[in-house]
Amino acid sequence: MDTQEYIESGILEQYALGELSEAERQTVEERAATHADIARELDQVQQALGVYAQAHAETPPAAMRERVLAGWQAAIRADAQNAPRSIVPPTTATPDGPVVRQLTPMEPETANNASGPAFRWMLAASVALLLASGLANFVLYTRWRDAASDLAIARTEQSRVASVMQASERTLAVRQQELDVLRSDDFRTVALAGTAAAPSASARVLYNPKTKAVYLDVRNLPAPPTGKQYQLWALDNGKPVDAGVLAAATTAGDSLQQMKDIASAQAFAMTVEPAGGSVNPTLSTLTVVGNI
Amino acid sequence: MSVNHPESLLPVPEELLVQRLRAREEAAMTVFYDKYSAALYGVILRIVKKEEIAEDVLQESLVKIWHSFTSYDASKGRLFTWVVNICRNLAIDKIRSRQYRVGSRTQPLEDSAALRQAAPTGFQPEHIGVQEITAKLNPEQKQVIDLLYFGGYTQSEVADELNLPLGTVKTRARAAIKVLAKLIR
Repeated sequence: MDTQEYIESGILEQYALGELSEAERQTVEERAATHADIARELDQVQQALGVYAQAHAETPPAAMRERVLAGWQAAIRADAQNAPRSIVPPTTATPDGPVVRQLTPMEPETANNASGPAFRWMLAASVALLLASGLANFVLYTRWRDAASDLAIARTEQSRVASVMQASERTLAVRQQELDVLRSDDFRTVALAGTAAAPSASARVLYNPKTKAVYLDVRNLPAPPTGKQYQLWALDNGKPVDAGVLAAATTAGDSLQQMKDIASAQAFAMTVEPAGGSVNPTLSTLTVVGNI
Repeated sequence: MSVNHPESLLPVPEELLVQRLRAREEAAMTVFYDKYSAALYGVILRIVKKEEIAEDVLQESLVKIWHSFTSYDASKGRLFTWVVNICRNLAIDKIRSRQYRVGSRTQPLEDSAALRQAAPTGFQPEHIGVQEITAKLNPEQKQVIDLLYFGGYTQSEVADELNLPLGTVKTRARAAIKVLAKLIR
């Protein structure tokens, strides 16, 4: 079939009027692409029908503009939500279905109501807002809970640090006091040497004759047997005077211990006594002794 | 029309509108509506004959145009040709559904009161009216082209409807289109 025959066959009119199948349309398009005459004729047929269509133009009622555009927008948004991950290109996924769903279930008064599609759009927007706000609330609540628990942890930590600090300050005050004792010229140092029972035992007494204050500084003492404690005695004119029992920390040599005030003494000695101390020293347990 | 917006008086170039629609710019659809709604609504109304149905079809058409815009190929024809065919197809689908089949076949198109008012179109200042076309086409040509374009008939269906040989229908259709082609300005 030559070009002229093809044009006169009427197939271009059928094409323009939409009578052809997809396969037939493609054949026409292929021919038009390779034959300028056919392309020109086809264009003319289409434009002629366009003239015919435009001659019948009919301005829609003014109120329709908003309704149709709102309906269109609601439909494309609904479609976008219905098929957000569609692999099918929009070309083939023509929205006949969604649109029909959109329009047919409407009651006549709803369909004629300008606010119908807009209302549904607003409703959808409200629901979306509500969901978003719920999500935001949940997120904020979770964060608030986390913050509250962080705060509790921080407070615990802070009070722990504070008590450590207090303990440190107490220790520091004690050390300061000990240092004052050791540096003071008013204190006399009395070295207590180990007896035959405990040759390696060694301790010092710091005695202030003016204030009568007595401090004990243990260098080395064997651990006392269970239920026993070391007790310091002042010997005043050969008579033993109780100067107090040693705390465990003192026995271990960790720190100085202030003992009972002693009015007068020429020597100091330590014995092992039952816990809490004795009224009179058990001389068989004499561990250290030293003269002033 | 407002003096503050002189640009709205100028016709929107088709290429620009195509670009914006291709870019999925929703605001472009409003421009599209203002430019083409009269021509498209006129065609749809001629086919479905009821204003509320025509409105539905126009809205469906906008959705379809939006979704399938990637398949519009400017090299195959003008935007109007493409969109008017989408509208025609949807409108014809509508009248082919059951409730339209009954009783509307031979009803003259001019019976609808809504069709009497003449309307300007938004995109062709040198508008050709129905009167001018009716004056140029002879009644036989007009009858055939009306059934083909607004009736949703195929050429064979027109032949059946009018009790004419298919060849005669083809000849009249081609003649009518030739007359119309001479009106292209």
